[in-house]
Amino acid sequence: MLSRIADSLYWMSRYLERVDHTARFIDINRLYMLEAEDTISESAQWRPLLTIVGADAAYAERHPGADVTARRAINFMIQDRNNPGSLYASLRLARENARAVRDRISRAMWEGINELWLYTEQRVHSGLSLEVVDELLHMVRKEVALFHGLTVNTMMRGQPFSFYLLGTFVERADMTARLLDVKYHLLLPDASMVGSALDYYQWAALLKSLSGFEAYRRKFHATFRPIDVAEFVLFEPEFPRSLAFSVERMAQALAQLDDTPATRAGQSLQGIRAMLAEHSGASVFNFGLHEFLEQFLAAIAEFNEALQVDYFEAYLGTKECVI
Amino acid sequence: METPGAVEMFPSLTHESHAGDRWNPYHEFYKDDFQPRLHYKPLWEQIQRAGQNALASKAREAHLALHAEGVTFTVYSDKDQGIERVWPFDVIPRIITAAEWLQIEAGLKQRVRALNLFLKDLYHGQRVIKDGVIPAELIYKGKDFRREIMDVDVPGDIYTHISGIDLIRDDNGRYLVLEDNLRTPSGVSYMIENRILERRILPEFFTQYRVRRVEHYPQLLLQALRHVSPRGKESAEIVVLTPGIYNSAYFEHTFLAREMGVELAEGRDLAVKNNIVYLKTTRGLRRVDVIYRRVDDDFLDPLCLREDSTLGIAGVINAWRAGNVALVNAPGSGIADDKAVYAYVPAIIRYYLGEQPILQNVPTYQMTNPDHAAYVLDHLDCMVVKAVAESGGYGMLMGPSATPALRAQFAAKVKEDPRNYIAQPVVPLSRHVCYLDGELESRHIDLRPYIIYGQEIEVVPGGLTRVALTKGSLVVNSSQGGGSKDTWVLADPSAVAFGEGASEAV
Repeated sequence: MLSRIADSLYWMSRYLERVDHTARFIDINRLYMLEAEDTISESAQWRPLLTIVGADAAYAERHPGADVTARRAINFMIQDRNNPGSLYASLRLARENARAVRDRISRAMWEGINELWLYTEQRVHSGLSLEVVDELLHMVRKEVALFHGLTVNTMMRGQPFSFYLLGTFVERADMTARLLDVKYHLLLPDASMVGSALDYYQWAALLKSLSGFEAYRRKFHATFRPIDVAEFVLFEPEFPRSLAFSVERMAQALAQLDDTPATRAGQSLQGIRAMLAEHSGASVFNFGLHEFLEQFLAAIAEFNEALQVDYFEAYLGTKECVI
Repeated sequence: METPGAVEMFPSLTHESHAGDRWNPYHEFYKDDFQPRLHYKPLWEQIQRAGQNALASKAREAHLALHAEGVTFTVYSDKDQGIERVWPFDVIPRIITAAEWLQIEAGLKQRVRALNLFLKDLYHGQRVIKDGVIPAELIYKGKDFRREIMDVDVPGDIYTHISGIDLIRDDNGRYLVLEDNLRTPSGVSYMIENRILERRILPEFFTQYRVRRVEHYPQLLLQALRHVSPRGKESAEIVVLTPGIYNSAYFEHTFLAREMGVELAEGRDLAVKNNIVYLKTTRGLRRVDVIYRRVDDDFLDPLCLREDSTLGIAGVINAWRAGNVALVNAPGSGIADDKAVYAYVPAIIRYYLGEQPILQNVPTYQMTNPDHAAYVLDHLDCMVVKAVAESGGYGMLMGPSATPALRAQFAAKVKEDPRNYIAQPVVPLSRHVCYLDGELESRHIDLRPYIIYGQEIEVVPGGLTRVALTKGSLVVNSSQGGGSKDTWVLADPSAVAFGEGASEAV
C-alpha cells in the first residue's frame, strides 16, 4: 500500500485515541470535582491533567500567572486555539487524516468520524457551557467507541487494518503511561501505604478514566494500593487498556504486516516486551515507577520512529523496484 | 395539464412571471401557458401528489444525507483558505428526451473527435495553421500551448480521454456549446451522487419513466485508462493523481479512485527513476503505467513546467515522452479548450471531418479583432467577458449584473491584453423548476455531459445539470454558489411517446 496512506491511517487512529483519552480525563475529573469536601484545591485538581496531555507550557502562555481553574482548564483542553493538543485540534487532525485515506476506509468509518467532527465543531462554536461540555464529552466517547466498532466490523483485514491497530495501541500505551506517571507523582511516596479516603477517590478516578474500576475491584478485593493499581494498569494482560495488553496488540498488528520480523520496528517492539516482562508491580516500585515509565515512553517514541523508517519512508531504503 | 390545482399546496405554476427578466429564456419544464411539457407531465403529477410537506422533508433528508456522507466541495475566497460546503442538491430532476439526447450525443462525439485530431495536428505537422484555418498567433500566444511536448506520440493518438462539454439552451430551446473542458473537467462524481440520492429519496418519481443509467461511468473510465497503458491492459497499474485534500474536487478524486479500485496518489507518493514512474509503498517502489491526473499542466512536473510546484512529480514529463507512462488527459490539451480557440471549433470540425457541426457555438467576439473589441467595449452591459484560460467562473465579467466600476476595470484589462479575453452576448440560459426554501421557483441551468475517449468515444447518458441558485443569475458554477439536479435521459423513444420535446427543442 501507499506509504502516505499507511502514515495517515496510523495518525488517524492515534489522534482519535488521543481525543478519546482527553475526553475521558476531563470527564472523570469533572465528576470528582462535584463533591469537594477534600482539601485539594481546584488548581491542584486540574493542573495534572494539563501535564498529562503535555499542555503545561501552552497553558502558561495562554493564561500567564493565573491559577488553573476548572473552567479555564476544560476550555483549554477542549478547544483553545492556542493549544495544539486540544480535543478539537486532535479531532480535526484525525478527521483530516481520515479524509486523506477516504478511499481506503469503509464508508461507515468515514461517516462516523465526519459526523463526530461536525457535531463537535458545532458545539464548540456555540460556546461551552458546563451542560454542553458534559454532553460533548459523552458524545465523543460514545462516537469513538462506535467508530472502533464499525472499523472492526467493516474494515478489510489487510495492511491498512494493521496500521489502524498500531496507531490506536501506540497512543493508548503512551497515554496510559503518562496518566499513571502524573497521578503517581501526585499521590504517593510510599508504595505499600493504604490510602486515605482522598486516595480512594483519586485512584478510583484514575481507574475509571481507563474504564478499569470494576475489573480492578474484582481482581484486588482489598483496597487501593498503588502497588496493585500499578500492577493492574501496567501488566494485567487481560485489561484492554494496560500497557501489556496494548503492546501485545501492537505485536500482533506488526506480525500481520510483515512476514519478516527482522525489521527495525520488530526489534524495537521486542525491546519493549522484554522491558515489561522483566518487571512486576512490586519490582517496578523498587526500580522507580517514574523512571520505568520514562523509559517506556522513550521506547514507544523509538518504536514510532522505527515505523517511519520501515514503512512510511520505505522507499528511501534499500527496498526498491519490487515489481 | 388537465387538473391544475389538484393539490392546494402547489395550485399551479402561474405565480411565476417573466417580469423583471430582460429576456424570455426557454423554460425546460413548462410551456408559455404554464402547462408542463409532455415529458414533464408524469413528474408534475407526482410533485402535486407529494405536496408541500413531503417535498420539504425530502429536501431536508437529501441535505442531511449529503452532509453526513461528506459530499462537499471547497469554495475559495480572499479571506479564507477554503471553506467546505455541502453539495447543493435540488430534488426536482431535469429530464432530457431520447430524441434530444440522440442529437446531443452525436454532436459531442463529433466535437471530441475533431478536437483530438486538432491536438494531434497542433503538436505534429500543424497543417491547420498552414492551411489558414486558425491564426498561428492565436496558438502561440495561448497560455496552454506546450512547446515542450511537440512531436510526442501519445498512446492511441488520444489527448482528451475525458472531456466535459458545457451545453446551454437558447431562447428557442436549441442546445449550444458554451465551453469545452478538456483539461481536468470535474463534477462527474456529483452526477452519480445526485442519481443515487434521487433514487433513494424520491423513488416514486421514477415510476413512470425509463431513465438511462449513469453509474457505470467509473467502469468506462477504467477501461479507457487501461486502454492506454504502455505495458498493455493486463498489467496496468493505474493511479488517480490528486493535488490533495484541500483541492475543491478532492471528494471526486477519492470517489473515482474508490469506484475504480485504484490508488489515489499525491505527487509526493510518486517518484521517477530512469524515466519510469513508481509509487512509494510500504514495501518499496511499484511501477505505474497510467496516471489519471487531476493536477493542472503547470503543476505536473517541476523539472519541465512550473519549478515551484509541490503538487507534481519531478521527471514525469520525460517518462511520458519516453513512452513509459500514460498521462490522462495528455499535457497540452488545454490549448483546445482555450476560449479564444473555441470560436474556431466549428471550422475545426469542418476541416478535419468534412462535416457540418451538429452542435452550434455561442457567437463569440475575439478581442484581438479591433472591430469586435470596439463593439464589445461599447456594449459591455450585455456581454459576458471571459479570460481565455480560466475556468470555474473565475476571471469572468457578467456584464448585465456588474457594477460600472467592475466593467471599467475589465475594459482596461481587455485593452491591455486582448489575447487573454473573449466576449459573448449574454445567452439567457434555459430555466427549470427548482424546490427552494419551500417554494417551486424557476432558475437558470446548464448541462455538462461527460465524454470518454478510449477504444471508442462514449457519452454517458446524463450529465451534471448545474443550477444558478440566485434568482435571475446566469452563473451556475458551484464555486460561485451554484446548485445541481439529477439529470434524466429517457430511454427508447418508442416506449415513451414524448415526441413533443424533440420536435420543439432541437
